[in-house]
Amino acid sequence: MRFLKYGIAVAALAAASLSLNAAAASDDPVADRKAVMQSVGAAAGLGGGMLKGQIEYTSAAGKAAIATMNAAAHTFGDLFPDGSDMADNSTAAPAIWDDRAGFNAELAKFAAATGAAAKASGKEGPADLDAFKAVFGPVLGTCKSCHEGFRVK
Amino acid sequence: MKKVLLGLVSLAAIAAVVAWVLSAPQTLSETALANLQPGDAVRGEQVFWAGGCASCHAAPGAKGEDKLRLVGGVKLESPFGDFIAPNISMSTQDGLANWSLEQFANAMLKGTSPDGQNYFPAFPYTSYTRMELQDVADLFAFMKTLPAVDGKAPDHEVGFPFNIRRAVGLWKVLFLKEGPVVAEPLTSETDLAVWQRGRYLVEGAGHCGECHTPRNPVGGLELASWLAGAKAPVGNGTIPDITASEKGIGSWSVEDIAYYLESGFTPDYDSVGGEMVSVQENMAKLPASDREAIAVYLKNIPHK
Repeated sequence: MRFLKYGIAVAALAAASLSLNAAAASDDPVADRKAVMQSVGAAAGLGGGMLKGQIEYTSAAGKAAIATMNAAAHTFGDLFPDGSDMADNSTAAPAIWDDRAGFNAELAKFAAATGAAAKASGKEGPADLDAFKAVFGPVLGTCKSCHEGFRVK
Repeated sequence: MKKVLLGLVSLAAIAAVVAWVLSAPQTLSETALANLQPGDAVRGEQVFWAGGCASCHAAPGAKGEDKLRLVGGVKLESPFGDFIAPNISMSTQDGLANWSLEQFANAMLKGTSPDGQNYFPAFPYTSYTRMELQDVADLFAFMKTLPAVDGKAPDHEVGFPFNIRRAVGLWKVLFLKEGPVVAEPLTSETDLAVWQRGRYLVEGAGHCGECHTPRNPVGGLELASWLAGAKAPVGNGTIPDITASEKGIGSWSVEDIAYYLESGFTPDYDSVGGEMVSVQENMAKLPASDREAIAVYLKNIPHK
């Protein structure tokens, strides 16, 4: 009898967490992940512009670029649920679903680089352009290998 | 009736003979190699990266030092079949260890194999044919320094009638042209020497046009739309327009293009992706002046 009660409790908890997941999951993961990647592009444009000397460096800007990338790296992976691979306006490659482990490995590299950069930034952001370059350069280095295998473009 | 039939049969026979003659394998003349300097492997390495050899002939997914192990195996899908790049390492049983420079040059510049067969133009000799013979000699010298890797790549997966190599000879008559695609830059203010170096790299070893130019139904390039982008050979993708049109890279400066080839980042800091990653990594190995030359050429060719 006790096992039955226990079983029902577990089932109820499972159902509750499943619905919580569904509520947390997006209605339009394709739009969401595009927005996330565009924020990454904007952050890369800001960071890259400063590295190139075209935009003047401030530690607040450096911190913003890193923080944006870090948030993206940590949330991006959740926006590729099964079934969202057939969207026609998406440049996500089928490999994301066929080789989920490979995709997650690339994301882990991205998140590791952004995490390290965020930690090194501290409260004020990297103090000067050289400090920024030292942490942001490795972040930019993670773009290519993921784009090579997991984006159709 | 019998006369008409006879007439038709004779016509068919004549047509067959003409086709046979026209489709004969093209090779370099005997004197072509006479005045060459001995191949220089150091210069040859630059030719190797410009030509993108490793992108097809190294093992699929090869990175770093493995790009020099030319064991073959990369598959190129096309509407005519799937072509698998062969082993071109210095392996005696499966590669090019026994080839002479003349045989290598005929392959690169004429698309003809040592035993007189036509290569399928998935091997981009239609671009390589514009290369200087000395560069080919230097390339061969460099390739001789690369490791011997045994292993024969699988055969091509090509169905009838595209698997008739002799027929490629006729295709070559139509589409294997040595002259430049673009005769002169769009504006006279362009530094001609730089533009011509860019043209040599893009139209020759770089073979950019092979992907970035649309093809007609028999697989020849539509030169009127040179580098203006194309549908992907298989599937739904598109290959970008890299002319200075609005849809292409018109808003990019010469520095932007050169920077992209060096770093893989567009002016907006979008990252290079897909098949172009391997190309960009090859371009990154060239001297900066070559990337600049390519950029100058791309900005100064006809566009829509």
